[in-house]
Amino acid sequence: MKPHTPDSSARAALIIVLVFVLLWEGGVRLFSVPVYLLPAPSTILLTLAQNASMYAQATLLTVGEALAGLLLGVLAGVIIAVLLTLVPHIEAGVMSLAIMIKSTPLVAIAPLLTLWLGFGVLPKIIITALLTFFPVLVNVISGLQRVDGALLDLFRSWRASRWKLFLYLRLPSAVPYIFAALKISAPLAITGAVVAEWTGASGGLGRVMWLAYANLNLPYLFAPIVILAAIGISLYRLLAHAERRLVFWLPSSTVE
Amino acid sequence: MDLTVSCLSHVYPGRKTRPALEAVDFTVPSGQFVALVGPSGCGKSTLLRLIASLIQPTAGRIEIDGGLTPSQAAAAQHIAWMSQSPALLPWLTARDNIAILRRVLPEGTRLRLSPDEALSMVGLEAAAEAYPFTLSGGMQQRLALARLLTLDSSLWLMDEPFAALDELTRERLSQDLLELWQPLRPTVLWVTHNIYEALRLANRVLVFTPQPGRIAADIDVPLPYPREEADPAFQQVLLQVRQALSLNRNQYEAAHA
Repeated sequence: MKPHTPDSSARAALIIVLVFVLLWEGGVRLFSVPVYLLPAPSTILLTLAQNASMYAQATLLTVGEALAGLLLGVLAGVIIAVLLTLVPHIEAGVMSLAIMIKSTPLVAIAPLLTLWLGFGVLPKIIITALLTFFPVLVNVISGLQRVDGALLDLFRSWRASRWKLFLYLRLPSAVPYIFAALKISAPLAITGAVVAEWTGASGGLGRVMWLAYANLNLPYLFAPIVILAAIGISLYRLLAHAERRLVFWLPSSTVE
Repeated sequence: MDLTVSCLSHVYPGRKTRPALEAVDFTVPSGQFVALVGPSGCGKSTLLRLIASLIQPTAGRIEIDGGLTPSQAAAAQHIAWMSQSPALLPWLTARDNIAILRRVLPEGTRLRLSPDEALSMVGLEAAAEAYPFTLSGGMQQRLALARLLTLDSSLWLMDEPFAALDELTRERLSQDLLELWQPLRPTVLWVTHNIYEALRLANRVLVFTPQPGRIAADIDVPLPYPREEADPAFQQVLLQVRQALSLNRNQYEAAHA
């Protein structure tokens, strides 16, 4: 059996994707599937190439909203987690509130925010932040509180203050958990921005997709999916790379 | 630093029927190396945690250095703690794992050694820039020892510090520990379930009974260092400790039959 290297698994992934695309292309041609039901990959790529600048502009807007929302969500999640760790007796109350926000369906909040805040980028950023902050909150709380018992004993034997315990032990212990949260939240941020645009926007990939869907123009609808998949994969890889650099003391937890 | 434990009992919450430690009394003069020996669950680790004030006793008193409570002694940085886990910060190099004491301890705390001095005391000067995960188990425990030496403390509480190491590494480290202990002469309480280790190191062995933990025997080890296992005097003390252990095991089994 061949050794399992990152190189060989990347090659395997590429082959799987290629086979899938070829089967799709062949199937569409063989059975003459009408383009308003399922466009062939070649048609989608052609659409993408012919409208490159339009898609580039939409992508920029969507990614901008997604990243701004993610940043806001991560900041909120980390800050609330830190507060709950330093002031434990408010945890139950704040967590109920967070779960309430988490349980409210996005499709119910998105139109409301559009109604209140208009078709601009602000409601998209807020929706993305709402969607991404919960995984961060839950993971960072775990990271801050699940500290190695022997290290905790040691810091206690030194009579370290609560603040120093937090700064030198709890916070660094939480870094791997922050990455675990980011790997969940980053793809969610893209989804959040697109769904938010779908419910009413003046631009962005979600808006393009909604228009294409309304006109049953399927190549236009599929092209953004290709872009979104590429962005999702790039974001994940970027995070995995940063994780390996920053959390060097743990074996890599990322499937590449 | 002397230590007096009087009528000390401890019951863990939720286990009311069976105390971990019951009416334990003993006095340790300054500079003595005491091994606490007994089967697992005999409360010897509990005793150590009580003295380190990591937990609070249900009843009884602990006096350190002629009247300080454990918590006062810890606040004055008189106590150094070491356990089976090296408890190193994985994101810091060996040197920084010691240097962090400066930041974590209250300002103005006196330290006995610089990080580099401490590393060379345990033979780790070449590993100063290494991260703990690249070090062997024995080297990690040496690093923990270097950190303990850095503290200017005169009561070392050591909870089976070498128990997770292989026998050879363990003997090497015990030998090195003795050499580090002799010039400084801190009071040591050393929890172990290894009788040989206890007799290689300690001036005195306290044998504990299991559940509830009580002192079954208080045995002097008046042997010079380094100690030879083949020495008849060593064998004689070994027999004494063995007898105390099996005696109280028989009593325990009879009582719980």
